[in-house]
Order: sequence, then C-alpha cells, then structure tokens
Amino acid sequence: MTGMNPPGGSLARRTLLKAGAGGLGLAALADLAACSKDGGGSSKSLKMLYFGEQAQATQLQNRLQPQISKLDASIKFEISAINGTDWNDFLAKVLTQIAAGTPPDIISVATEGLQLMASKELAVPLDDYVTKDLDALKEYFADIHPALVESMMYQGHLWELPDSFNAGNMFYSTGLFQRAGVVPPSADWTLDDFETAATKIAKFKGINAFGWVVRLWGSWTSFMYANNANLLEEGKYDGGDWLWNKAYAGDAAAAGRKGGWKWGAPTANSDATVEALNYMIELTKKGLSPSPDVGGGGTLQGLFASNRIGMSIGGGFWAGGLTNAGMKNGSFDVTMFPKWKSQRHLFGAGGYAIFKSSKKKDLAWEVLKLLVKPETFDLVFPGNVTTPGRKSLVTAARYAKTGPKHWSVFYDTLTKHPDTAPIPAPPYYNALATALNQRTTQAISSGNAKAALDGLQSDLEKAAGAS
Amino acid sequence: MTESTGTLARIGRITGVAVLVIAAMIALGPLLWTVTTSLRTPAEAFSNPPQWIPLHPDFSNYGAVFDRIPIGRFFFNSVIVTGLIVVGQTVTCTLSGYAFAMVSFPGRSVIFGIFLATMMVPLQTIIIPVFVIIRYLGLSDSPLSLVVSALGSAFGTFLMRQYFMQMPRELGEAARIDGAGHFQTFLMIYAKMAGPAIATLAILNFSGFWAEFYRPLIFLQSQDNFTLPLGLVGLQGNLGTGSISVVLAGVVLAILPSVLLFIFAQRYFIAGITAGASR
Amino acid sequence: MAAVTAEVREAVVKRRGHPSSHGQARFGFAMIGLSVLFVAVFTAIPIVASLGLSFFSWDVISTPEYVGLENYQRLFTDGPVLKSFGVTLGMALAIVVLQLTIGLGLAVLVNQRKLVWVRTLFRTAFYLPLLASTAAVSIFMGYLFDYKFGVVNYYLNLPGISNVPWLTSGFGAAATIVLIAVWQQIGFTFVLFVASLMSVPTDVLEAAQIDGAGGFRTLFRIKIPLISPTILFAAVVALINAMQLFDQPYIMTKGGPGSATTTVTIQMYQKGFQNLQFGYGSAIAIVLLAAILVITGLQFLAARKLVFYQ
Repeated sequence: MTGMNPPGGSLARRTLLKAGAGGLGLAALADLAACSKDGGGSSKSLKMLYFGEQAQATQLQNRLQPQISKLDASIKFEISAINGTDWNDFLAKVLTQIAAGTPPDIISVATEGLQLMASKELAVPLDDYVTKDLDALKEYFADIHPALVESMMYQGHLWELPDSFNAGNMFYSTGLFQRAGVVPPSADWTLDDFETAATKIAKFKGINAFGWVVRLWGSWTSFMYANNANLLEEGKYDGGDWLWNKAYAGDAAAAGRKGGWKWGAPTANSDATVEALNYMIELTKKGLSPSPDVGGGGTLQGLFASNRIGMSIGGGFWAGGLTNAGMKNGSFDVTMFPKWKSQRHLFGAGGYAIFKSSKKKDLAWEVLKLLVKPETFDLVFPGNVTTPGRKSLVTAARYAKTGPKHWSVFYDTLTKHPDTAPIPAPPYYNALATALNQRTTQAISSGNAKAALDGLQSDLEKAAGAS
Repeated sequence: MTESTGTLARIGRITGVAVLVIAAMIALGPLLWTVTTSLRTPAEAFSNPPQWIPLHPDFSNYGAVFDRIPIGRFFFNSVIVTGLIVVGQTVTCTLSGYAFAMVSFPGRSVIFGIFLATMMVPLQTIIIPVFVIIRYLGLSDSPLSLVVSALGSAFGTFLMRQYFMQMPRELGEAARIDGAGHFQTFLMIYAKMAGPAIATLAILNFSGFWAEFYRPLIFLQSQDNFTLPLGLVGLQGNLGTGSISVVLAGVVLAILPSVLLFIFAQRYFIAGITAGASR
Repeated sequence: MAAVTAEVREAVVKRRGHPSSHGQARFGFAMIGLSVLFVAVFTAIPIVASLGLSFFSWDVISTPEYVGLENYQRLFTDGPVLKSFGVTLGMALAIVVLQLTIGLGLAVLVNQRKLVWVRTLFRTAFYLPLLASTAAVSIFMGYLFDYKFGVVNYYLNLPGISNVPWLTSGFGAAATIVLIAVWQQIGFTFVLFVASLMSVPTDVLEAAQIDGAGGFRTLFRIKIPLISPTILFAAVVALINAMQLFDQPYIMTKGGPGSATTTVTIQMYQKGFQNLQFGYGSAIAIVLLAAILVITGLQFLAARKLVFYQ
C-alpha cells in the first residue's frame, strides 16, 4: 500500500496509541501485517484473485505459465479462485488479504466493484499501458463493444480490460409458450405484449408466468431502465478521449463516449422509478408473478429449469446455467427485454485490474493482455456461464450445444440498443445493494412502492454523503 | 385406582410415542426431501407432490459431483481437520473444565468470566485480526490454521466445567486422603467418569466443525486444502449457474459419512454414559 | 423443587470452600494453561484489537483514523441499527425457549424408550439436522418454504389452507427463520440433555419410585434439578449463539422483507465488510458483546436460585 497513506506511518502510530490498550493491540497487529508485507517470499510469484472455481483457475494457470515464463523465467503464476457464494464473500476475502498484507497483483472485478476499487485507489489506471501498447491492442478494442470499455472507466481513466458481460434479456420457456398458444415474442415486443403472454401462461395451475430476483442486476431495475428511469442521476465523467480517439477512431458506437459513468444524486423516488416498482406490485396482484426470490437466483433457476416459470430476466450466463440445471437445448429461448418507454437494457461487465500495491505491475500488464486473448476466454468461463465481451466469440458454434436459438440477442443488445447502460454501481455500491434489497422486499410485502422508495431515497442520500 | 393409573400411564406412553414419531418426521422430512430430490432429474426435481420414495432413482447428479470437484480430497481434508480439533479440544477442555470446576486457584472466577466473554463476539468481527495472526504464524492456506485456531474453546471448557460440577467431591477427597496427587485424582477418578461429557463435546464439536464454512473461506487459498463445505460451494457455479440438483447431491454426500459415523459411534457414546452413570 | 433443592444445597454448602493451598493453585494454573494460551491468542487478542478498532474509522485500505467515541455516538442515534437489536432479541428469545423446551421434552421421551434400536433411531433423527451446513440448509429450506412451489404450502393446501407467505411477509420471515434455526439446532440441546439425563444415578430414581413418585413428579422434582447445571449451560450457550444469528437470515432473506430479519450481526457485517466501515462495525460488535454479557449475567444470577450443584 505504499503511497496510500501520505502523512506517514508515525502519525498513524501516534493516533493508534491514543486509544490506550485497545489501540496497542491494534498497533501490534498492524506491525505484524507490516512485517509480512515486506516478506521476500512472495516476490517470485504473481498472484491473481478471481471469483470462480479453482479447477478452472488451475487450468488457466498451467496454460499461461509457459507464456509468463517467457517474460520472466523466475516468476510463478498463482491464481486463487474464491469459492464464495456471492460478491460479498469475494469482497470479504479480498479485504482480509489486504489487511493481512498479502494483496494480489491482479484481480478480476465486476461492474459492481469497479468504482469502489477505483475510488479507493486499490488499482492503477491502465491509461499509460494501453497507450504504449495500442498497436497490439487494436485488434482487442475492435472486437470489444465500446459500451463495455466505457463501463470500466472512472473519472476519465481506464481501470480494467473487460472480457465478459451480461445484459438483462428475457428468457422464456418455449414449452409453456407453446402450451399457452403464445407466439414466440419478437425482438421489438412491448410491455403490453409481455403482459398478454403472461396472462395466458398464468392460467396453468402451479406455473408462474414471470419470476424475478431481488438484486441490482436484472431485477425490477430492468423495468426501471425500460421506463427511462434510474436509482441515481446519470452523468458521465469528462475525459477518455485519449482512448476513444485512438482505439475507436471512426467507430459510430463510440460516439459520445466519455470518461466513465458518473452516478449523481439519488432519484429513487422519482415518478418513473416508482412507476416501475409499482408495475411489479401490480404483476403480483394480478397473479402473474410471485413474490420474488431474494439472493443469487438459484431457486429461480431450478424452478425455471423444471418448466414452472414462463419468463425470467437472464443474460448470456443463463445459456450455460439452464443447461447445467438440466434444460434441453430448444426448451428455452431468449429475446430482448420488452419495450416500455424505451427498450433500454442494463448490463454488468467483468474484467481484470492491476492492484496498486503490486511490485510487478509491468509483468501484471503483460498477463492482463494474455487474459483477454480470445483463446483464454473458454478456459476461464467454460460452458457459456457468461457472455464473451469479444463479438468474434459470440457465434452460432458457441451456442450450438446449449442454445438458445436466438443467441444473437446477447450481443445485439449492445449494438441495436445503443442507450443500454451499466447497472448503477457507484463507489458506495454495497450500501446501495443492501438498501435496495431491503426496500424492494418492503415494497412487495407492503404493496406500497412510493413509501419504500422514499425510504430508499433517504438511504441512498445517507450512503452517498458518507462515502 | 391402580387400573385408572394404568390406563393413564398407557395413554401417556402412546402420546409420548406419537410425539416422538411426529418430531422425527419433522426432523427427517427436509433431509429426506433433499435426498430424493437429488435422485430426480433436474427437470422434474421440484414438482409437487414431492416423491418421497425414489422409484426411478437417477444418479446423474452424483456423477456430476464427482466430475466437477475432487470431493474425495475435500473429504480427506475435512476428516483430518475435524478429527484433530475434536481430539485436541477433548484434551484442552477436559483439563481446563476440571480446573474451573474442582480446583481453587486465585482469579478463577475472573478468568472463567473472561473465557465466557470470548464466546460472545461474532466471528466476523475478529476474523481480520485472527487471519493476521495466522499469517504471522506462517499458517495461511494450511488446513492446520483451522485446527490451531480452534484448539482453545470457551464453549468446550464451559461444557466440561458444568459436567464436572455435577460430580460428587467426596470421591476426590477420599483419593487425596489415600495419598493420590492432584493430577492422579483427576486422571484416575474424574476423567474416567467424564466419558459422557467427553462424548457430548466430541459429538457437538464434530458437527460444528464438519459443517464450518466461514473460517475455511477466509483462511484457505488452494483447492487442495479445501474442506467439504467450502469445496461444495464450487458446485453452485459462476453467477449461480450450477445445477441445484447437483448441489443437493453434494450436500447429501457431505452428510452421509457423518451419519454413518454417528450411528456407529453411538454405541461408544452410550457405553461411556452408562459407565459414568453406574458409579 | 424448592424442598428438595434446599435440603441438598445445605449439604452442598457444607462440602464447599476448601482452603486453597499453594500446590492446588499451581495445579489449577497448569490445568488451564493450554486453553488459556489458545483462547488468548486466537480469540482474546483479536477481541481487544476489535475493541481498539471501535475508536477508529477504518476502511482496511487506508490508515485507521482515531475518532474517539464517534462510532458509539452514531450507533445510539442510528435507527436501523437500534431496531436490529430489538429484532435480534425477539428472535433469540424465541429460539432459546423453543430449543430448551423441545430439546428437553424429546430427550425425556427418548430416554423412556426401552428398546435400544428405537432409542438409536430417534437419537439419530434429532441429531442429523445439526450435521448439515447452515448454507446447505438455507438452500433447501428456501425451496421447501417457497410461497407458490414449496412443499410446505403444498401440504397445507391439501386440507384447504391457503398459501402462507413464509418468507415474504415480515412476521412470517422472522417466525420461519426461528423455526428453521430451532429445527437445525435442536440436536444441540437434545444431545446435551440425553447424556445428562442418562447420568442421573439410578439409585436416586429407584428411591423416588419406592416413595411412590409418578413420572411427572420424578421429572420435575428429581431429574430436572439434578441436570440443572446442564440446563444452565444449554440456556447460556443457546442464547449466545442465537444473539449472533447470521447465516439463515443472511442467505434466505438478506435481512428482509424490509428490515424484519436484519439481525445485529447482519448490520455489523454490512457496515464492516460491505460498507467498509470496520470501526463502526466493531463498535456494533462491542455493544452486542455488552448486551450478551448483561443477559448472560442475568442468567447466572437466576441460576443461583435455580441451579443445583452436587
């Protein structure tokens, strides 16, 4: 963490001592951490932390090791997959490692944590590296949609190289649609079409027309985006021209891109936001949707796979997810999220950053470039458990085994709906997610969206002020 | 009079059995549902009525568990870690529980009070300092870190103390008069009577540490060192894209060995208790 | 109970209070040495660090900043955190009462069975839920208590009872989590009480039977007083655990609906690990510690009147 506590450690030590015995204990622990931080044992390894399964991590590690050895023969590449159940388990583990003085060199972070990481200066901006290697990266940027790159920017700097994303599309059960005599929805269907389909499917006993999960990504927030509303005021940081003018010169999709999303004052109780949540309450009242599942969406996935749910919001990760859950290719399909005031979608992206405390940043950068190579993708994410960020990887061959038939929807979301935007994940994302969970369940169980969102508005104002 | 007492007693007995049977059904129902659901194909897994007897068991979920994670390795790690903790705590807690119950020494109640207080802080609060200490001892990413940091236990000490306090003091006094030393009195008289308490402690520790998730999550890095509960999370997949039926199969595989162990160990458990009772 | 216990206690008091010899003290310290060492290093020191941290503002990443009592002042004006103390206390009391009464009842009933295999069967049944990890339990309970597809509501529907919003209404979620926690933890009190009841000396019971005492009289006058140290232990430990209730609400409801199941530990975890306010999180933990300390103190105080040691 060099350079992150400018006034020097002595001041910190003095303040620690002020707290008396308790502070002494803490100071001693801080010293322990400091000792191990300078330990030379780890200097011969390059450490990467990512949220996933170790079997893949080991495979990836073995595959990349020869290429890393070419760069520096003495370096051992070590990838730790964190087997958490959710993003919070991952964060808890990362923080513990930082506190213990063993931060990683490379870390994979999703949109949820990007601004938190950047605002706390845990990572380094990649601007200089990208500029230096722009020629080699031309091919990469040409293949990655600018919306994904922009979502990895904060305050004008690029913090991560994205490799994957998931936009909130609508999955549906082809069997249930057929049984109900509903024609498969077209890409430009509307919210009315959605409700008509849902009403027909809801006639079957023991079936839910539409199932959803309480969370930030692909929840009622998808309806909110289609209603041209948001939880926070939208804006963009200035800057980023260094990248757009060079890597995306002449690309129409890059027009108007700036230095990353700037999430402003909370707008959680604006009319359009309340309208979106009210729509969900109406769905419940009409018997078209049950009370939502809280958490990771595992329950929803199991129920969808056993043909108990007509429609649900999912991204490219559900191609693999539903297949893993036992669904046959062809028994589910995907289409765009229906049009309300607009057909704007939301998405979340994943990528890789270099930790600020790393002593091998240059080498870490070389590894980052290897990680976003096309051939690396299926090592990290086998079986379509996320959508490739590279357009060239989103092919019929990729989805031949798992489905869905309309796999092209995944990438078309970015190209055909250019207003599609990342989830609102400000530096205080965690406080936002907690409050959103609480207020959403409150709204559904009480039936009063306005009161719950007034509460959310004040929660968010507090959280924004505290950060 | 006697006849009506007999009828009453019979009604009482029948009610007692009925209560036990219903309670057992409630206790086992959810677990049985888990087992039978793990034996159904994912597509029909969650249909009602639940299929309590698997007529056409489908073992593909179990195959998937073995394909996707090295469950044998996790099992081995869990056995070692849990086993060492159970044995270690039996020693440390029997010694300290006896001292707090039977031996007078200055500061006894204060130290015991501090012991109890250490139980009252949630693990999440102290996990960072604990991990710093683990690292300092060079034990991070070692299954031993889980063992070492669990060897002292306020819970176990408290449990053993309560059992020792139920024991008569005359026996020890008699032994002392016969010339036995402090430790000899403890070992030859009281430790022998502590069978049921030790068995109880062992059983509770076994179940507590066998299912533990949070400390392994924080302490362990490499998959080779994972314990079962941590390893099983891998079945849930990236962004929850694993199959729930496979997850349930994993849960069943994790519980199964301990069920067998428990049924097997009960004989010794009961033997210990009866030995203690027939003093 | 009073008559028996008073008599016995008198005898007990006579036996107590040996003069503490020098050798005995040394022996005592030696016996607690190992436990003290491990508890000190891996629990006590971290708690002291946590106490120290509660006077700081710390986000793990930057240097801690001393803020005095600010975290505590904030805590006592923080509505949601204060509410979580109420939620925790309510759920904890319900869990402890159910766990003790059901656990004791089942232990007594099982011990009355004469056939060994019947006893083994029931013992195994009540103990099994303890072996499943809380995360696993939360996963399958989520399915069982699902509003529309759950097995529980399916069986309630058969006699015509309409669907119960187990996890999706405020009171329902708190009650369901209490039931699930009791279901999973019942093996704990059960195992303790089974062992304890079996070690009640048979001669005492025989004497009672000769005196003509019936089943209930024997239970309340003799068995329960004799195992009262174990009951105290179970009550104290169950309460300490229940006051730290975290996994079930965290996984199944994320503290909702609204804040109906947001316990103190969930608040603490959110403030610390999620909002990176580790100082504030520590302050919440210290206040929780103080609250548990007070309640446990009351339990021991009550125990002076009710618990009987041989």
